Amino acid sequence: MLGFATVLGAWHLTTAVLRLPLFDKITPPVTVFREWFNRTPAFGVSVFTPVYYEHIAYSVYRAYTAFLLAVLLGVPIGLVMGWRERVYRFTFPLLETLRPIPPLAWVPLAILMLPGIEPPVIYVTFIAAFFATVLNTLLGVLSIDRSYFRAAECLGFSPRNVLVHVVVPGALPFIFTGLQIAMGLSWFALVAGEMIAGRRGLGYMIFDAYNMAQIPTIIMGMLTLGLLGYASSALVRRLGRALMAWRGV
Amino acid sequence: MRDLARLARSAAVWQGLAGIAAFLALWQVAAALHLPMLRHVPTPLQVLTQLATEVHSRQYWLSWYVSGQRVLLGYVIGVGLGVPLALAMGMSRTFHGASFPLLEVLRPIPPLAWVPLSILFWPTMEQTIVSIIFLGAFFTVVLNVLGGVEAIDVNYRRAALSMGARPWHLFWKIVLPATSPSIFTGMAVGMGLTWEIVVAAEMIASIQAGLGFMMWQAYVGGNIALIIVSMVSIGLAGLVSSSLIWMLGRRLTPWLRRT
Repeated sequence: MLGFATVLGAWHLTTAVLRLPLFDKITPPVTVFREWFNRTPAFGVSVFTPVYYEHIAYSVYRAYTAFLLAVLLGVPIGLVMGWRERVYRFTFPLLETLRPIPPLAWVPLAILMLPGIEPPVIYVTFIAAFFATVLNTLLGVLSIDRSYFRAAECLGFSPRNVLVHVVVPGALPFIFTGLQIAMGLSWFALVAGEMIAGRRGLGYMIFDAYNMAQIPTIIMGMLTLGLLGYASSALVRRLGRALMAWRGV
Repeated sequence: MRDLARLARSAAVWQGLAGIAAFLALWQVAAALHLPMLRHVPTPLQVLTQLATEVHSRQYWLSWYVSGQRVLLGYVIGVGLGVPLALAMGMSRTFHGASFPLLEVLRPIPPLAWVPLSILFWPTMEQTIVSIIFLGAFFTVVLNVLGGVEAIDVNYRRAALSMGARPWHLFWKIVLPATSPSIFTGMAVGMGLTWEIVVAAEMIASIQAGLGFMMWQAYVGGNIALIIVSMVSIGLAGLVSSSLIWMLGRRLTPWLRRT
């Protein structure tokens, strides 16, 4: 709460009271909130307009689709790579070759390769989440004590049982660390993707507002993104806690 | 030289290379056959030819230089402010209480969402980009260092305090050595992120020069081989700079055993 108050206070002070040289173009908080909660907003976007929710819905849909795809593909790939040494040796160098290319550097190629507007934006977001998921899952499997595997073999576990009782639970803490990172990266990449290529969504809303010099709408978009990103990370954290009850809080 | 010979004999290296070669071969065949998604995508050989011409062009190296300069500036400011701030938060509970919520409020906003506001805020485009890079590096470093501070066993502090340690001793003997691995992790991760940001910022802010700008030019001009060359260059730049940070970290924290 104190943090909130400090941010708001500093923002109000620099823009409305002191009017520091660099801050003269930034709108004071009061103006932003008046616009945000206005029934007839000056720039057409507020909590009472459907457009606002449309942008939110598009961004959430894209971020979660990409995130889910990354989890559905990334976790199994990471598990197999960590579990089967042969797979690891053949694929890990390839992963490390492709991983340094930033997701956002994929934007132009994605636009050319994929049809329409949705697929490129989702693809870029997916790439961001995918590598974080694979890498952390892989590290999770590698972090499992080797004697668990030997013990499982001594007890005559089938490969399926090893997967279910050793590999997955052992890697779960790392998987969830990876998922949290992936969620953050999804939102990070999504915003840029929408700014460059989107036709709707919060990133686009911010950029459009910038082009029209609607500063309250820009700030509104940023704050909304912050809230959504925060809520998403909290969701993943809570899910992780629920699935790993044995670790306590 | 002997290391190289050993590398050449190890099966793991050849298997890794085989994996990469298989990927390139697949790409070559798929692009040559003009499969639906890859209709516009050039083959690896075409990309290689493009790269061969680019390495001779002054423009290409200038892009590296300009982007590198921006990254370096934003990164140095971000690390220079972030590390002391996070350490101060680790040393003083009061300071932590006062500044942590502030970080938590600002952090979830993705760095690139700051671009439009920064353009309005800063007089020049150059400052805008550097400030966005700064944000990316700053938050990554601060969060990693704070994580490191939290992981310190409280018994160390208690032991030191009961033996009459001053805050100064706590800092030099406990907090700094214990957090230095996280400082370097944060610095390396932050370095990777800054390259990502510089590319996107250069594309969004339509600034002249830089690797991101080069890529966007290539996109507008329809030169897809050059797009891929830019992607690879950016990846390489990020990789090289984070490796440098890792190396630096390893040298400065020799007491940690690496596997």
